[in-house]
Amino acid sequence: MIDEAFMPFQQILAEMLAFDGEFSDEEAGVRSYITRYEIESPVELDIVKDENGSLRIGTTPPLYYVDTSFRPSFHKLRFTAEISRKANGN
Amino acid sequence: MATENTAWQLEDFVDSLVVELDKTRETLAVKAINKPLSYTVKEVALDLNIFPSYDGDQISFITAQPGQEGASKVSIQLGSITDQQVRATSKTPSAKGDITIDEIDVDKSTKKKLRKLGVNSVDDLKEIEQKNVDLKKVSDNSIDYGALAKQIQKSKRDQNPPRVQAVSLSLDEDEKPCLVIKGDNLAIDPGFNPVAVINKKLAGVMSTSPKEVKISLDSDLTDNNEVILTFDPFAVMKVNVKTGTAVS
Repeated sequence: MIDEAFMPFQQILAEMLAFDGEFSDEEAGVRSYITRYEIESPVELDIVKDENGSLRIGTTPPLYYVDTSFRPSFHKLRFTAEISRKANGN
Repeated sequence: MATENTAWQLEDFVDSLVVELDKTRETLAVKAINKPLSYTVKEVALDLNIFPSYDGDQISFITAQPGQEGASKVSIQLGSITDQQVRATSKTPSAKGDITIDEIDVDKSTKKKLRKLGVNSVDDLKEIEQKNVDLKKVSDNSIDYGALAKQIQKSKRDQNPPRVQAVSLSLDEDEKPCLVIKGDNLAIDPGFNPVAVINKKLAGVMSTSPKEVKISLDSDLTDNNEVILTFDPFAVMKVNVKTGTAVS
């Protein structure tokens, strides 16, 4: 079982992708959208084996923001997302 | 705070990462149905702080825990590739009935050497043999294809063992008594003549097929008879034949 403070790896990607990439100014008649973005973030990992022997990757952005002498090990996650369909449906 | 980290192999980690990434892509594909503006993940990279260890057989990693310093860094980068690239760079999936190296009864060190040569199944080995590659030379004389071929035959035979369903007494064309063994996967090696021993005496094998073996009876059977059948070098069977009934 992944620690409850962590989420499956796919979830963190989905959460980071859950935003509206379109900006419009109706008065000015301008509509813009993000075509590509890259995210680089420190993450904590919890890697465990499930009952079938498969690895489960749990991950979370840094949980605590208090500076302590006993620091978590931060790994680095980078990913690139690109627009797959433009606003006009093409 | 997570529980203590588990040691893992790079292959397992990448497999899990790919599964997670596939799930993300599936989620995004569903989202794209309703949202005119959607994104796809093109590349994912992870820089991991890990401690590698080698147990003499394989390398495993354990992710660094809080407070641990001096960890090594492993960078894993997954890029998007097209289905054509997948076809060009991936091996054809194993065919039905293919035997993996793990199923062959050879020592660990040979299995390890075979894996290093990219041989993971019997079909891989056959492909190498067809290309006239001398396994002895490429493995510094440590892999003998002849011995390996025997082990492969044995593994194949283990998957299809002989099964005796019935033993009966009969008469041959010359009205002489004979023992008829019926079943499945009996004499399946055309290059080997099955051998029969009845009550510690060699008996003549009259005819063989995968479904039936006929053995001539030169002497009378007793109440309880021991019949040892060698169908091929990897299939030897002992059958106790009681006159009138048969128990395998």
